[in-house]
Amino acid sequence: MASDDELSLLVIVVDVNPIWWGQQAQREPEFTLSKCMDSVMVMSNAHLVMTRSNKLAIIASHCQESHFLYPNKHWKAGDFAGDESSCGSRDGKYELLTVGNDLITEEIKNLMERTEVRGQQTETLLAGSLAKALCYIHRVTKELEAGQEMKSRILVIKAADDSALQYMNFMNVIFAAQKQSILIDACVLDADSGLLQQASDITGGLYLKVPQKIALAQYLLWVFLPDSDQRSQLVLPPPVHVDYRAACFCHRNLIEIGYVCSVCLSIFCNFSPICTTCETAFKIALPHAMKAKKKKLKPTT
Amino acid sequence: MATSSEEVLLIVKRVRQKKQDGALYLMAERVAWAPEGKDRFSVSHLYADIRCQKISPDGKSKIQLQLVLHTGETTNFHFTSESSAVKDRDAAKDLLQQLLPKFKRKANKELEEKNRMLQEDPLLFQLYKDLVVSQVISAEEFWANRVSMNSVDHSLTSSKQEVGISAAFLADVRPQTDGCNGLRYNLTSDIIESIFRTYPAVKQKYRENVPHNLTEKEFWTRFFQSHYFHRDRISTGSQDLFAECGKLDEQGLKSMVGQGVRNPMVDLMSFEDKSLDEGYGISSGPSTSGHNKTLKENSNAAIIKRFNHHSAMVLATGLRKQDAQNEQNGETSSTDGNSKDSDFFQPSVKKVKLKESIEYADLVQENGRKAVSLNLKKSDRYSHGPTPVQCQQYATSQDIINSVNCIRHETADYTPRLTQVLSSSTANTAIAALSPGGVLMQGGTQQAINQMVPNDAQCELKHLYVAAGELLRHFWSCFPVNTPFLEEKVVKMRSNLERFQVTKLCPFQEKMQRQYLSTNLTGHLEEMLQTAYNKFHTWQTRRMLRKT
Repeated sequence: MASDDELSLLVIVVDVNPIWWGQQAQREPEFTLSKCMDSVMVMSNAHLVMTRSNKLAIIASHCQESHFLYPNKHWKAGDFAGDESSCGSRDGKYELLTVGNDLITEEIKNLMERTEVRGQQTETLLAGSLAKALCYIHRVTKELEAGQEMKSRILVIKAADDSALQYMNFMNVIFAAQKQSILIDACVLDADSGLLQQASDITGGLYLKVPQKIALAQYLLWVFLPDSDQRSQLVLPPPVHVDYRAACFCHRNLIEIGYVCSVCLSIFCNFSPICTTCETAFKIALPHAMKAKKKKLKPTT
Repeated sequence: MATSSEEVLLIVKRVRQKKQDGALYLMAERVAWAPEGKDRFSVSHLYADIRCQKISPDGKSKIQLQLVLHTGETTNFHFTSESSAVKDRDAAKDLLQQLLPKFKRKANKELEEKNRMLQEDPLLFQLYKDLVVSQVISAEEFWANRVSMNSVDHSLTSSKQEVGISAAFLADVRPQTDGCNGLRYNLTSDIIESIFRTYPAVKQKYRENVPHNLTEKEFWTRFFQSHYFHRDRISTGSQDLFAECGKLDEQGLKSMVGQGVRNPMVDLMSFEDKSLDEGYGISSGPSTSGHNKTLKENSNAAIIKRFNHHSAMVLATGLRKQDAQNEQNGETSSTDGNSKDSDFFQPSVKKVKLKESIEYADLVQENGRKAVSLNLKKSDRYSHGPTPVQCQQYATSQDIINSVNCIRHETADYTPRLTQVLSSSTANTAIAALSPGGVLMQGGTQQAINQMVPNDAQCELKHLYVAAGELLRHFWSCFPVNTPFLEEKVVKMRSNLERFQVTKLCPFQEKMQRQYLSTNLTGHLEEMLQTAYNKFHTWQTRRMLRKT
C-alpha cells in the first residue's frame, strides 16, 4: 500500500582499506575491522528498524574495487527461503535484519579473500565508491512509485588518508550530490580529511572526527542515525571550520592572497612575467620611482 | 553715495522720512534714502533684510510705504509729491514686490535646507542631536561638509518634470444644463491653464481685456459663446472678441502645413483619402481639388482641420520653452508648433533610417578580432587540489604484505557479535563528549550576542557608532596635515573625541556594567578612539621635533 511517509535511504560507504586496517590491527587490537563492521551493522539495523519504509545500502570501499555489501544483486527482499544455511532467524530477530547481517558478513569475507597485494594501489577508491552510491540512489529514485518521495544521504566512514589523485573526481561527486540534495556525512577515524570536510560543508551534512574508536557505535547512533529533518531538533556537534584556501600551482602551498593568470586562471604565489601554464607574457607597470626613495613594485596582472 | 557698480533701478523724489524731505533710491540689492541736498544715504536696507512691505490704505491722506525688516524694525516713507504721490508709491511698491522675493529666498534658503535635511533623514537628525546639541562639536563643523554636498542634490531634485496637457481638456469641460435653457461650465484652474498654454492667442486676449474691460467671468462667458469655441467656426464679423483668434489660428495652421513634416521617409502630399472601395487602398485617379467638394465634405474638412490644429497646438506646448513674455511682444510665429523639432532633422537622416530598417546587427557576419587561443602546457595542474603531493605515510612493501595477510586472516574468522559492540563505560564517555559542554560541542552553542543584549542598548550602541564614526571621519580627513587650518582642526577634533568619550562612551559603559556582565560592547569603539589618539600623539611629537 502506498504510504504517506517519505522514504529515507541511507548509503553507508565503509573504508575497508586492507593496508590501513591491517596496520590498525597491529597498533590497536581492541578496535579492528571486525569491530568496525559490527558497529556499522548495529547502525544499519537501527536505521531499518526506525521506520518500515527505510532503505539501506552498504558499500565497501577497497583499494582495488568498490563492492556492494548490501543489497546483493541476486537477493530479493522476500526471498528468505532461498538461504541455504539459515532459515529464519536464530535469535528472534526481525528477519530482514538477520538476512542482512548474514549477507554483509559473507560479502566482506569474500571481498577480503580476493584481496591481492599490489604495490601501487594502496589508496582507498573513495571517489569511486561515492559515485557508485550516487548512482544507486539515482536508480532507486527512478524505481519509486508515482507519488513517493525519497530523501537520501550518504555516510562515509573513513579510515585511511585522502588520496590526492582523486581530488577532481571527489569534487565532481560532491557537487553532483549537492545538486541532488543528497547529504554527505563523514565519520573519520584517523586523520582529518579536508575533502570530506568540504563535502559535508557543501552538501549540508555532518563531519565528525571520532575521538575514541572503540565507542564508534555510540557516535554513529547519536550523531548519524537521525535524518536531516530530525537533526534540526537536536543539539549536535557544531560544524567545523573548513579551510577553503587554494593551493598555488607552483609549490602546492595553501595561500590566501596570490596572483591569478587572467588567461588560464592558474594560481601562483609569486609574480612571474610568464605564466607557466599557458605561456602568456605579462608586463609590470612601474610607477615613476623617485631616485631617492625606493618604492615597492606593484605589478598588475 | 551709491557705489559706482550699483545699478539704480528707480529714483523717487519728494519722499519724506522722519519728517525730512529727500529722495528714495531703489538699487539692485538694496533700497536707500538720502535727505535733500545731502550726498550720503542716511537709510539703507538690503532687500535680504526686508521681511515685507506695507502700504497705507487708499483712502488715507498720507501716502506711505512701510518696510518691515526681519529684526522687527520698521521704516516709513511718506510720498509728498502733489501730482504723482500715489503713482510714485505704487511704482516703488511694484518694484519692491518684484525684487524682494528674489532676495528673500536666498537668506532663508539655507536654514530651510538644513531643516529639510534634518527632517528627511532621521539618522542625520540623531547624529545632530548627539553631537551638536550635546556640545561635542559646533554646528558649523557639522554642516561644513553636508551643506555643500546637498545643495547640488537639491538643485537636481528640484527640477521637476512639467505636467503635460491632456488633449481632451476642452471636451472635459462638460456643460451642465442650468434648468432654464442655459448651460453651466465649470472651469478649474487646470483647464484655464491648459487653454492658455495651448492657445496663446486666447491668453493674450485675456491679458489685454481682463481686468480692465471685462471681468474674468464675462471673459469666459464670451469665450464659450463665441463661435471660436464652437464646432463650426463661421466668422460672424469683427464684433466677436475672438474672431481675431480664429484668424491667427488659420494663419498658424497654414504656416504649419507649409513647413511640412521633415521626415524624409514620409511624403504627405501623396496621402489621399479616396479609395477604390472599402479595403482596397488608394485610388490613383485624378485627385479632386477643392472645388467639387460637397457640403458635407466641406464641413468635415473644417472639423478635421480644427482637430489637426488643436492636436498640433497641444503637442507644441510640450516643446515650447519660451514663456509668456515673449508672446506678449507679439511673436505670432510661435503659434505653430513645429518650429522646434524640425530643426533637428538633417538630410543624412534618410540614409540612416533606410540602413536601420534593412540591417540587423545580429545577422551581420562577425569580422572578428583575432582572439588568442588558449594553449595550456601543463593542464594536470588543475586536477590537483589543495592536498599535499606526497602522502604522509610511506608503507614499505613488507608492511603492505603483512597488513594484507593480517586482515585476511582476521576476516576469515569473522562472525558478527552485535551484542558486544559497546560497553557501557565507553558509551558513557562518548555521550559525555557529545553532550552540551563536552569535548566535541565547544563552539556551537554560544548564544548570539544580539539575543543577550536588549534592544535599547543595541540602539544606543548604534547611535554611538554613528556619532563616533562621524567624528573620526572629521579627524582622519585632516591627515596629512598640510595647512594651518588643518592643524587647528586636528587639535580641535582630538579634543572633540575626548569630549565624546567622556560624555557619551563612559556613561554607556558604566550602564552596561551595572546591568549586564561580561559582554564587551564598547571594546571596538575604544580601540578606534585609541588609534586616533595615538596618531595624534605621533603627529604632535613629530611636529615638535620639526620645530626644534
